[in-house]
This record gives sequence, C-alpha cells and structure tokens, in this order.
Amino acid sequence: MSLLKPFSKLPGLNTASILLVEDEEQFQQSLADVLVKETNVTVTVRLAKSLPLPMDESRPRIDLVVFIINLTSELSFQSAEASLKYLDPGYFLGKACFMVTNARKASVPTERVDAVRKLATLLHCPLLFAEDQTSEGVIGAAERLLTILKVSAGLVPMTTALYLSNLTRCTLPPDIDQPSFD
Amino acid sequence: MDESATRLLQRIVRRIPTRTLKTTLEKWDRLSAAQRLSLDFTEPKWTLLQKLVSFCEENEFTMKHITELEMIHVIENPDQGMWYTLQLLDPEDDAQSVELMMFREQFKSHLHELISNVSVKIKRHTDESVWIRIAWGDGFSRINHLKPTYVVHQLQSPYVFVSSVSSKRKPLLLQALTLSTRHQAIKDANLSGRKLTAIRDLVMRQYQQVFPSKYPSCLSENDKALANLHIEKEQAEASANRCQLAGEAFGGEKLPELQSAVYKLETKFRDPTNETMMEREEPFRCVVKFTSTNLLESLKHCASTGIASTPVTPLLSSIPSKGRNYFVITDNAPGAASQTRQTQN
Repeated sequence: MSLLKPFSKLPGLNTASILLVEDEEQFQQSLADVLVKETNVTVTVRLAKSLPLPMDESRPRIDLVVFIINLTSELSFQSAEASLKYLDPGYFLGKACFMVTNARKASVPTERVDAVRKLATLLHCPLLFAEDQTSEGVIGAAERLLTILKVSAGLVPMTTALYLSNLTRCTLPPDIDQPSFD
Repeated sequence: MDESATRLLQRIVRRIPTRTLKTTLEKWDRLSAAQRLSLDFTEPKWTLLQKLVSFCEENEFTMKHITELEMIHVIENPDQGMWYTLQLLDPEDDAQSVELMMFREQFKSHLHELISNVSVKIKRHTDESVWIRIAWGDGFSRINHLKPTYVVHQLQSPYVFVSSVSSKRKPLLLQALTLSTRHQAIKDANLSGRKLTAIRDLVMRQYQQVFPSKYPSCLSENDKALANLHIEKEQAEASANRCQLAGEAFGGEKLPELQSAVYKLETKFRDPTNETMMEREEPFRCVVKFTSTNLLESLKHCASTGIASTPVTPLLSSIPSKGRNYFVITDNAPGAASQTRQTQN
C-alpha cells in the first residue's frame, strides 16, 4: 500500500505544500486559486479526487492534507473516509484537517454532520466549516488553511503542528448522541 | 364565425404568450394593416382577445383560418407538449422518390378513406419537414378542433414525430402514414420528450459527436485556469480519461434536451443474501425512471465526475446511440441488453 508519508523528503526553502482531497473536485479549484496568491510564502497546491495518489517522485513534501467534504453528498463523505486509510499515521499529529461545506443547508441530515464530527474527534484533527459559493467565503476558508499550513510547514517560530492541533482539534459536545429539537 | 371557431380562437390566444403573439399574427398575415395597427400589445390579454374576435368576425373568418393560426404557432414553438417518435420500416422500391405533392395527396386520400369525418392540413416547413394537423370526428359527432394531432415527418428519413393522439385513432393514422410514404410497416421508436427539436436531433444524430482518439482533448475551463505553476492535479490522467469516455458515450457540447429515461426491468431478483426473493420463478418487476431538465448532460456529468463508472455502461450509453429513452430489460442476453417492446418488425 502506498502511504503518503509526512517526513520522507526534505522541505523546500520558504515553501509550503498543501494537498486538497475532494471527491467532487469543485471547491478545491477555487481554494487553490486563492492559496497561490499568498506572497510571504511560496504555496504549492496539489489537487486530488481521492487517495491513494499515483507514484510521483517529483511530488514535494506535503505539509498539510485537507479532506474537503460536501455535507449534502453521502458519496463525498464515504470517499473521504475511504481515503483516510492511505495516509500515514504521522499526518494525524496536526498535519491533516477536515473542511466541510454546506453545513447550513436544511437538506443535510444531522447524522452526517455528527458522523463527520466524530471522525474528526477520533483522529484529533481540526474541523473547519467553510462557505464555498461566494468569493468572501473562499477567501476566508483559504486564510484559515494558510494559518494552519504555515505552522505545519514549520515556518512559524516556537510552534509546531502538534502544539497547534491541541488547540484546534475537534471535540464532541457532551450531548451529541441526544436527539435535537428541530 | 361560428361558436366553435370562436372557442378555438379564444383558446389559442390564451395559450400564446403576448410577446410571441405579435410575430405569430404577422406571420399569419390575415388581418388588414389597420386592424394590426390598432392592436396594442401592452394591454391585458383579454382586451386583445376581444379585439381579435371582433376582427375575425369582421373579416368573416372560418375555422380554416383559425386552425392556420394555431398551426403557425405550433410550428414556431415545437418544444411544448409531448412528442412521440415512430419509425417507418421496410420501404418499397419507390419510397425514396416520394416527394411532397405525392405524399400530401396520398396521405389525405388514405386518411379520408379510413375515416370520413376528419380535417387535415398539411404544410411544408423551411427545413424540409412536413407538418400535418389532424382534427378528428366520429361518424356521429362533429370534428373536434380543440384536440388536434400534430404529425411531423422528415421526407426521405424513416422518422415520424407525433403529438397526442388517442388510442382509437392511432391505428388509422399509422396506416395512412405507412401507405403514403410507401413503406410496409411502422413501429414505435421508444423515444419521447417535450422538445421536438431535441428528439429530432437525437434520433438523426444532429449534435456534436466525440470520437475515440489517442490524445484526449478534454479541455474544460478548469484545466485552463490551472495553468498556474504552483497548482497541480494529481490524478489528471484519470480525470481526462473519464471526461473523454463520457464525451464518447454521450456527445460533445450542447446535447439534445431529453427529460426522462425509463427502464422497465423484467429480470429475476438477484441477491444471494435474500433467499425468499431469489426462490421466486417470476421476474421481479421494477421500473426505474431518470428525470432531469437535461438528462444527457446530467448523465455525462455523472460519468465524467466518476459517479457513474467508466467506460459507460451500455444501459446508459444506448440512450444516445440507439436514440431511445424507453427500455425493457429482460434476462436473455448476458449483461442485461435492452430489447424493443415489439418483437415483430
């Protein structure tokens, strides 16, 4: 099994690489366009539909893996879940995170949101909610990813990905398994 | 102008939206210039209708003129109502030489032989298609112009498109069509839809096709935007492959707009975990219906994004390749091939 490993290569100077995994391949395009506009750091974006990735020697060291899940699609969630197996456990120490879209839609069953929450909590990853339809939403989501990315790439002094993940990781509310009042 | 003509006129004017009413009346060209000028199209529809009724009375129009107006409207706006496709089979030796005049006379005489109380209007449109309007009557009742049947036939092609026709009259219509086009049989082509232009383009393959090539040239706008050096798609080859196969199965840009596809299953139930259902001898009857505003575009998108596996299953790709959207699937051939509803012809 070809696992994606976090420390198998040397990092580049003042560069950070991010991998966006999304089954629908929509939001990742707009996010990528905003991410590369960052001037302080050279950001390289890799886009994938799912893991495992094809063998590629020229791929740089991936500092952050983001799983983008569209909550309105069960297929999106299942594809992300299936891709998790192909990630080296080393990534789950602050170098992986989940980003979900369409959480406000009434058509989204609460069980799916809870399932994503439980998954993120289990893996000690941050869970970010993003809005992908407007440009402000995309820019906001990209800024949050950049904050985490800079830390994961080691470009922020006195902080590592693991320290940050202790602050940002997803936690379950105590009443998650109780029925909600709709 | 008698009462039924007035009623038909009222119905037609109510149905035509005001913005197209002006052009339709101009094409009809039966009103005098003064009458046309006095119509103000910013007024509410019922005032226009009243004026039109009075003009028609003035000009002493008959049912013939009113049906002409209706026909003009339908020819200009063919994408309304439901259209069904028929296919002519077994042409005689002189089928290729049937031209408009001959077809017109033959069709009218055959239909009048079969049913005497019927009104037929035939018109040739600019794109080589023949439009026929038929209003039916019984031996005992008058001709009902409120429920006409429209038939469109492309001369020299085996396809005929029919709008609503009752099952009582259908055999008469089919017989008249077969004889006047010099064929021996006609069958239901299992293709129906709301837009006449779409089903005609589909069955006559008049839309952009994609052919298999060694270098897939599947350039979507996303690919052009990703010209940035810092963005790279990991599974670009797989994605281009899917895109190419989807295009081969369904077509290029601007696919004909179908609204639905129906699969009627008459296959045996197959699920190893459910013994009771597996034991039954009769086939498990099930109907699967896909609906969409543009069905082919949706299916193509499913294939290119990986929701439907590629290469595209023949169940889906036979919609454009066979030009039908009604399939009956039985167990005979391996891999559930589709068969026509009628086993003859």
